[in-house]
This record gives sequence, structure tokens and C-alpha cells, in this order.
Amino acid sequence: MKYRTREKGGVAIIELSGKLMGGEDSSIFRGLIYDLLEKKIKNVVVDLGGLSWINSAGMGILISGYTTMRKHQGDLKLLNVSNKIKSLLYVTKLNLIFESFDNEKEAVLSYSRN
Amino acid sequence: MPEYITIEFPSRHKYLNMIDIVCGEIAEDMGLKLEIANEIAISVIEACTNALEHGNKSSPEKNIRMVIKRDPDKISIEVYDWGKGFDYKEYLQHIPDPSDIQKVRGRGIFIMKEMMDDISFELVKDRGMKVTLEKNLIKS
Repeated sequence: MKYRTREKGGVAIIELSGKLMGGEDSSIFRGLIYDLLEKKIKNVVVDLGGLSWINSAGMGILISGYTTMRKHQGDLKLLNVSNKIKSLLYVTKLNLIFESFDNEKEAVLSYSRN
Repeated sequence: MPEYITIEFPSRHKYLNMIDIVCGEIAEDMGLKLEIANEIAISVIEACTNALEHGNKSSPEKNIRMVIKRDPDKISIEVYDWGKGFDYKEYLQHIPDPSDIQKVRGRGIFIMKEMMDDISFELVKDRGMKVTLEKNLIKS
């Protein structure tokens, strides 16, 4: 997994690329989430557009980030979810948990509507 | 006549990408619909992830062996590890709710069961766990 983080309107955008599959990806992503919390940023959009694939361990990484942000009164939403990843979210019913968007502007604006 | 493709690789996460590519190539060669191809690739990666992490405990010196059997109307994939196995009969009767966000892990078998037509487990003597995934094929 590779990543790039930036901020837009008080919302952190984490762009992931490569493969999200557990192992060391888990500790890297956890580190990113806690770095944001230290900066008092609780609202996150994770852009999955650059991911070639994800497995259930990778989904666990996203779930862990989501629950951490929710515990801190924040949220973690998904952006640019491919059909392959969508099928995983649907089969596990996690599509009901994660709010997802196809447009970055809409994803960021969704936080100001909350 | 079925065709067999055998692949063996060390227990390292980086090789899971190779499995995705192999599955994609085979699916394309067989003319499978993208949706079916994705379901097969996702399930095989889950089986290999389990073999790597749970069976072989991520020990690179322990290989994972994968045997793909191509039939005109069915594809089956066997994944072997060197683990001690687990009580799969018990597990299959109490598969955790995949939408339970309190559980970070434990969705792999559920995903395989949903995406494939058949999944079976066997503890092979002097070897380890064998998982067999089967998918009936619909040509595009």
C-alpha cells in the first residue's frame, strides 16, 4: 500500500494506492489515523481509486479506522470505490456502514452537512 | 479433459498480487464475465491470505500451494498450507456477522462462501489444511 494525505476544508483526504491487505499496511494506516487525531482532525475521506485490490484484512483496516474516528466523534468515508471493492462491501453488508462517494467535493461537503 | 495449473509460493503478502493476476489471466482466457472473474479472484486471495496468515503463520519458508483445475463448466481451486487446521465444522455453523464492525477480522470464509458455489475444508495428514473452492461457470 502507498498513501498520500492532504487536507481540504478541515477534512483529511487519504489517497491509497497499490494493494490494501493487512500485514504492515495495518500499522501504517493506524499510524496515519492517530497522526490525524493528534492534529485534531476527526473527519476523513479515504480515496480508494488507486487501489488495485483489497482483501478482507484490508477491509478490517478500514473498519478499524472507521471505529477509531467514530469513537472520537468523527467519521471515515470512502471515495472512488471500484466495482471489485463494492462487491466486497455489498457481500459483507459493510456498504451499510461506510458512506461512499464518487466525487471528492461531495465527500468533503458531506461533513459540513452533518 | 481438465487442465491443471499448479503454483507454489512463499508465505509473503507481496505474492498475493501474483495470484490476482493469474486468476485474471485464466478468467480472461476462459471468457468469463468480469463479475464472475472478480468473485473467483477475491475468493482465491482470501483463501491464500488465510493459508499465509493462519496456516503458515506468515513464515516465508513455508510455501502455499495452489492447484487450479479448469473444466469446461467449472473451475476449482485447491489451496494448501502447512498449518494445524481448525475446527471448520464448528466455524461454519457459527460464522460471525460480517457487518459487525466490532470485529476487525474474520470475514474471509464468509466472503468465499458467498462468492463461490462450493467451499470445503480438509485437514491433509502430514501436510496441513486444504481449502477447495468451486465455481460453476457462465460464459459471457
